[in-house]
Amino acid sequence: MPLIAAEMTTPTLGGILQRGALAGVAAGVAASLVAFAVVEPVIERALTVEEARTAGEPAEEALVGRAMQVFGGMVAATAVAICLALVLAVVFAKVRHRLPGRTDFGRASLLAFLGFVAFALVPALKYPANPPAVGDPDTVNARTAQYLSLIAAAAAIAWLAVLVRQVLVARGFAAPVAVTGGVLTGLVGYGLILLIWPAGTGEIPSDVSPQLIWDFRVASLGELAAMWAVMGATLGLLLTPRTAKAAGAETVTVSA
Amino acid sequence: MPSPAPATAVAPIRVPLLAWLLAAVALIVFYLLLQENGLVVPGQVAEYLHEFTHDGRHALGVPCH
Repeated sequence: MPLIAAEMTTPTLGGILQRGALAGVAAGVAASLVAFAVVEPVIERALTVEEARTAGEPAEEALVGRAMQVFGGMVAATAVAICLALVLAVVFAKVRHRLPGRTDFGRASLLAFLGFVAFALVPALKYPANPPAVGDPDTVNARTAQYLSLIAAAAAIAWLAVLVRQVLVARGFAAPVAVTGGVLTGLVGYGLILLIWPAGTGEIPSDVSPQLIWDFRVASLGELAAMWAVMGATLGLLLTPRTAKAAGAETVTVSA
Repeated sequence: MPSPAPATAVAPIRVPLLAWLLAAVALIVFYLLLQENGLVVPGQVAEYLHEFTHDGRHALGVPCH
């Protein structure tokens, strides 16, 4: 009974959202662990540079203590992961039938990868992360606008790439040709917006070493990669039927 | 000419406005946590939120002063 099998394997919106929330928690825990173990040691090095600048001056009373900021960084990473995972879940429900892949695990992983590219990789290439001790307060609003608009543009490119692949499939092109069309659309699109968007305004102060900047950028991208990888894999796993027999139900429908 | 359904047809899922509102709220929380440098929420709350999430913002690659 292929029809019933198909109904069984189409998840409901509510089910996807619940699993998305859980995927967000898992992604937040993963990102927090990377933040604590990998990013925080680099932030400490940057704070040493900052302190050296004000050496001799009376120390300012910090509004939030260091331990609280480390904790806050992990809370922020978790909250961001849950927010992004809910958005990912809604978008997944909307575009599931447009995504290539035979399983929800494959589709969710692909969508999370596209999310990583749009929300993390493209901004990291144009406006790479900087540790504390770098950054001019006067330009932060302009930099924020550039950063957010670049993410919006990258998300639009991802949507276009998915659409191009789907149109090629609908016109009868073989799967590898259609996928290549989508990938090329993405690469050209990302390349164009990286060229068009204004150059970053951040200047690196001379007392901050290139090694520190590099270490921080790699650590930051690592935290974001952990977040998106765990988000996509968890959403996909939670949408996967537990047994191979149930998972195969959709394959039966496909071949029918 | 009736075209047969593609072999890999996957049923679309209806996404009502409410779900998009949820996504919008999630994005606004995302913005407040990461972007707020006094642009929307003024005063002490923003300042505390800014300092509390300071490490997180830098770590996630968000522009900061």
